[in-house]
Amino acid sequence: MLLPNFEYIEPTTLEEALRLLSDMGGNARVIAGGTDLLVRMKLKIEKPSQLISLRKVPGLNQVIKRETHGVSIGPAVTAADLARNEFIRDKFAPLATAAGKLGAPVIRNRATIGGNLVNGRPAADFPPACMVFDAILKLKSATNEREILVGEFFRGPGETIIEPNELLVGIFMETPAPWTGGSYIKLGARKALEISMVNVAVMLTLQEPLGPIVDVKIALGAVAPTPVRAFAAEQYLMGRHPSEKVFSEAGAIGVGMCHPITDHRGTMEYRCLMIETLTSRALNLAYQNALAWKP
Amino acid sequence: MNDFRVLNTRAPRVDAAAKATGQAKYADDFKMPGMLYAAILQSPVAHARILHIDTSKAKKLAGVENVVTSKEAGLIRYGVSPARYDETIFAHDKVRYVGDEIAAVAATSMEIAQEALSLIKVDYEEIPAVFDMFEATKDGAPQIHDEFPGNINAEVHQEFGDTEAALKSCDLVVDHTFLNKRQDAAFIEPHSCVAVFDHAGKLTLYTSTQVPHYVMRTVAMTLQIPVGNVRVIKPYVGGGFGPKCEATPLEMSCGLLSKITGKPVKMTYSREQVFLHSRARHQFYAEMSLGVMNDGTMVALKNKAVLDGGAYTSFGIATVYYSGSLLGGPYKLKAMKYDGHRAYTNKPACGAQRGHGGVAHRACFEQLIDMTAEKIGMDPVEMRLKNIMTAGDMTVNELDMSSLGMKECIEAIREGSDWNNKKGKLPKGKGIGMACGFFVSGAGYPIYRSDTYHSTVVIKMSEDGGVANLLTGSAEIGQGSDTAMAMIAAETLGIPLENVRVYSGDTDYSVDLGAYSSRQTLMTGHATKEAAEDLRDKIAGFLAEEMNVEKSGITFVDGIVKFDDAPGNFEKIRTSYIKEHRGWTDQPSGEFLTFREAARLAFLKGGTLVGTGKYKPHRLGGSYKGAAVGTSPAYGCSAQIVEVSVDLETGQITVDKMTDAHDCGLAINKMSVEGQMQGSLSMGLGECLFEEVKFDSRGRVLNPSLGEYKIPTALDMPNVRSIIVESNEPNGPYGAKEVGEGAIMPTIPAILNAIYDATGVRINELPVTSEKLFMALVEKNRIV
Repeated sequence: MLLPNFEYIEPTTLEEALRLLSDMGGNARVIAGGTDLLVRMKLKIEKPSQLISLRKVPGLNQVIKRETHGVSIGPAVTAADLARNEFIRDKFAPLATAAGKLGAPVIRNRATIGGNLVNGRPAADFPPACMVFDAILKLKSATNEREILVGEFFRGPGETIIEPNELLVGIFMETPAPWTGGSYIKLGARKALEISMVNVAVMLTLQEPLGPIVDVKIALGAVAPTPVRAFAAEQYLMGRHPSEKVFSEAGAIGVGMCHPITDHRGTMEYRCLMIETLTSRALNLAYQNALAWKP
Repeated sequence: MNDFRVLNTRAPRVDAAAKATGQAKYADDFKMPGMLYAAILQSPVAHARILHIDTSKAKKLAGVENVVTSKEAGLIRYGVSPARYDETIFAHDKVRYVGDEIAAVAATSMEIAQEALSLIKVDYEEIPAVFDMFEATKDGAPQIHDEFPGNINAEVHQEFGDTEAALKSCDLVVDHTFLNKRQDAAFIEPHSCVAVFDHAGKLTLYTSTQVPHYVMRTVAMTLQIPVGNVRVIKPYVGGGFGPKCEATPLEMSCGLLSKITGKPVKMTYSREQVFLHSRARHQFYAEMSLGVMNDGTMVALKNKAVLDGGAYTSFGIATVYYSGSLLGGPYKLKAMKYDGHRAYTNKPACGAQRGHGGVAHRACFEQLIDMTAEKIGMDPVEMRLKNIMTAGDMTVNELDMSSLGMKECIEAIREGSDWNNKKGKLPKGKGIGMACGFFVSGAGYPIYRSDTYHSTVVIKMSEDGGVANLLTGSAEIGQGSDTAMAMIAAETLGIPLENVRVYSGDTDYSVDLGAYSSRQTLMTGHATKEAAEDLRDKIAGFLAEEMNVEKSGITFVDGIVKFDDAPGNFEKIRTSYIKEHRGWTDQPSGEFLTFREAARLAFLKGGTLVGTGKYKPHRLGGSYKGAAVGTSPAYGCSAQIVEVSVDLETGQITVDKMTDAHDCGLAINKMSVEGQMQGSLSMGLGECLFEEVKFDSRGRVLNPSLGEYKIPTALDMPNVRSIIVESNEPNGPYGAKEVGEGAIMPTIPAILNAIYDATGVRINELPVTSEKLFMALVEKNRIV
């Protein structure tokens, strides 16, 4: 399989990259890791006339602990880097776990968090993990700049609200409160190199070690045209004391949020049953991690 | 213990450094001056009449050198077995599957060749297609080949003993059905070929194949070139597993385009094209009844098969025979009946793949044995041991088990897995299962009817006496045959392994039928051994003459020569050798004459020294129709125990451990044997749990990539305990026989039996996805 012809441009500043994006209109695509884009180009699903590489744009591949409470992640940070980042593993465990389950080592070495988000695939690994932290995405164009909540970013399979002249330049997350635990579970056929049949991320905060749940977020992937939050299940859990029974009830409520499809990876029926099981498992796991919270 | 110096060790592969460093050249690495790039136009529809093909626009594109269709290629029919030649190089009247070849283009670049394909205009008149093997043989189904009404490509009816009467006499008859899915071999290297037609009228093909000899014959026949003018060279090959066992449209197109243009022509399949070409494992439906006595004695087996063949025959006529014949052992049966047929469908043709024709039916049979054992309250291991064949037994369908370490294999895994402490004692969700199997060690007959030698080998000494150059047409495809042949030659000549150099995979070197049916260790091994003996004998003859001693007292071992176990009086030979090599730093020394000095002496006396060897099996098999399929000079066998964990809430299966024993006769190279055993397990695990080539409603492959067609990753493979069992095969060189395919036989049923042990659910359709198992668990709980 051959790549179609295209022009390859390597801007060296963010301004130049944004100006190029503006000038090229809809014919250009941004390339970071290229693990998805190049495959789609070889399959002739996409035929951009220009590829604008972020390789030489400084500052986009860093994870920065902010002075205030939180973290700033560059869009060109690779899955491999996130999976092994100590701070992310400690405070944003679902994100690190999702990063470590994306594809296989060679893919993780190239694939970036920004690429994974802007692709807008319903089964992608990073979106649910970002959604449970209410990540804020910073979009920039040559003339404008805006911030948007990750939950409002996805529009449909392969569609997001990003404009052709915009670049995702940063992902910001607040460090969760004390006694928070998180989890990420992915169900696929194999133990690696999988596109999820169902994936679920959870962040759960306790008032105190034996106290009730004061904050909880559940996000599911591959169960609807976009990744979704299970708000009803979250509401049900708020203020309740954690227990297996409560978690399994939340799992059952979570299914109500979902509209999975039947495709060659799995049927709607099985996916619905797994949403229930995996949501309750992820909650249990997050709860165990919350109990083990350390400052 | 044995006295082998080279054999039976864990010698590193002779090609290890070349492969590890990237020096090894594969077909796609070849570049030649003026080389053109070719591409094939393949049908986008599953079943259609071709009304018109217009190549004029493509021909006008700058950089296009030639475009060929059936008009240029002709309509000579070919296939694998002459009994079913049903293909032409290009489709002419109709296309029969998505991927059927229509035209080929040669251009100055790959990009131009691809663009030219898009300029070829084909008018199709689509006609109804049939994709399901059961639908295909129903009345009124679309007819795929006029010559084969009802889409029956081949059918087999065999009976040994009176099966109905035998079943009636049984205490218990148990039935089972089984359905696998079409598999892809997923070799790393897609098909690739460079064709060079020279001014002398000779065609040389550098091609990724398992069978240079058969490719040579088929290409010579279809392109109408005298067979002596076709040379097939197999460079390094990145795996075959069966689908590379036949001539491909790629080889014939490149050959034709090179013949027309006079330039080298290269083509490499994309991964998608590998899926479209297929020739991999069929889909099989098996239906069986096993009759036993209450004490566990097996009496009779009734076996039915339906095979989804796809649009052409490929190896299929042999495949449908194997599905029956390979159940004749390793258990004693009084009667066996087999009825099988292979249906044509509008999908890519299926062919041979590791464990040819036997894998799905073995899976059904070995599940059936476990089901029967449970019903009569017998341990599955005990039940198998009770019925096991031993060396010297003949199966009911006249396959001669000249050696058979089946019992030893079963005992080894029972011990190695701690079966007795696990079976029936594991917690819910954990299970243990076992199965056995056997396979041919080389097909007893060539694909075409002939008295040809199956293998010949030439060993030519270097003039200095230091290197034995082994020339063979056999195919090293990653399985390690070059290393095995080097070891056999070194052992026989009595020299160190590093003094043998193997030149293989070239039809100009020798005749060899190639790497299929697990034949090379035994057959090429025999020819290698004979060639080395011939060479050794010649050297000993010259030595005896020179030293005035009896030839029979001369022995070669570890690179030195002994005369009646003593050094002998060789001063004169050494003195002249040293004089010949004055100034050299590697002069022979020591108290014994070296092999190098002896071989140099032989050269001085007789000129270039050549030893030749040849092999063909003795007459094998019964006289009934189809008796040839399944015959072999020897049979390898294996037993496996698999332990699994099942997540009862999701249906996810984790294979925790595999214990595998294989009887390969003498293990020429223990490391290679273990490699084949573990590779077989991985392939079997993939077929059992993940793999399925899927089609949409119009016959297009839905998952033609290694991203969506799922073979096991390293994380899916458990730790494997490989136990080599070594019977002494009287028909094998140094007692050796196969391991390449037989090792896959027990894997699928052992996993399925373990899943049943863990869950109480019997799965009879592959692959066992988490969804399939979970839904079966839900169903079972609903009933309970």
